[in-house]
Amino acid sequence: MYGYEIIQELATLLSGEEIIVSSNGNISRQVYNYCKQPQIYLRGSMGLPISVGLGVALARPEKQILTILGDGNLLMGLGSLSTISYVRPSNLKILIIDNGVYATTGHQATTSGTLNYTALLDGFGLPNIVPIQRNDAVESIKEKIQLWLDAPELNILPALVDAKPPTLSNIPLHPEEIAMLQKHSKT
Amino acid sequence: MINPSEFLTFLRAKGFSFATGVPCSYFSRMIDKFEMHQESITYIPATREDEAVGIASGVTFGGARAFVIMQNSGYATIGDALTSLAQLYRLPMLLIISWRGLEPDRDFPEHSLMGKVTEATLSSYQVPYWELEIEDWQRTIEVALTKMEETSRPVALLVKQGVL
Repeated sequence: MYGYEIIQELATLLSGEEIIVSSNGNISRQVYNYCKQPQIYLRGSMGLPISVGLGVALARPEKQILTILGDGNLLMGLGSLSTISYVRPSNLKILIIDNGVYATTGHQATTSGTLNYTALLDGFGLPNIVPIQRNDAVESIKEKIQLWLDAPELNILPALVDAKPPTLSNIPLHPEEIAMLQKHSKT
Repeated sequence: MINPSEFLTFLRAKGFSFATGVPCSYFSRMIDKFEMHQESITYIPATREDEAVGIASGVTFGGARAFVIMQNSGYATIGDALTSLAQLYRLPMLLIISWRGLEPDRDFPEHSLMGKVTEATLSSYQVPYWELEIEDWQRTIEVALTKMEETSRPVALLVKQGVL
């Protein structure tokens, strides 16, 4: 399965009450196009989506916060796994979409191919679901996403995918508007 | 020295319910007091200073206020977190930065150059800043927070040894 298809499957399972924090590049564009709007679409700050998700989860304990990021972003902010394990907000869920490349900048390889996600996340003391594999059947993928959404505590779902991002236009919202829309959604 | 408990109570009264960052020995008395104030201010220890700016940005997206503590050596690592996140999305936050590398730090050469360029780098990144001094510290913070709210962007306090 491709990364964008994971986001499309996720979109069918959402209640619409969640807040999504999406990482810079293709993932934010896909979340903008396939999921309910508005969400927190990050444009820069590579390496920080998990940290931003943690902050939102703490400030909005009544909401489920879904943070979606790629392998390049994860590797740049690996320390944030330790921070979320320490703080453990029960309303924070992390989806790692690992396609093995920096797809947004032209498919240069990342170093994620050597990662054993289960061992990595267990080592950080983070509850996690057995990674989605490239050849998993759609039904099995949906089950894992549902399990992740229903988790009663902090939970991480890694998804190993093939890289073929669709061509999507840039998000038309200025970042200031993205922040304002969150402010308004609270009131 | 500023009483750290009074300092935290003052910031809580100004709306800060979260704090994050990476410690500095200049702030050790204040960090010791976080435990006493944990019901009113939640402190999240970060692994890096840019991560702390990310956490504070998330808190601000969620409608609350966070302040961030760090050394100026850590300030040197947050350029992208400021420019492509906190400043770009107009997320107000208070950065409390220890000003290492001045005269009392002559035995710590690792801080020397950063101490010299701290003000210039704050200016370069367009972060308004004030030196926090024992005299009139409440007034200094009020002026900084007024600017923070007016601009809806991060502002900084520089703190020399022996102030907090």
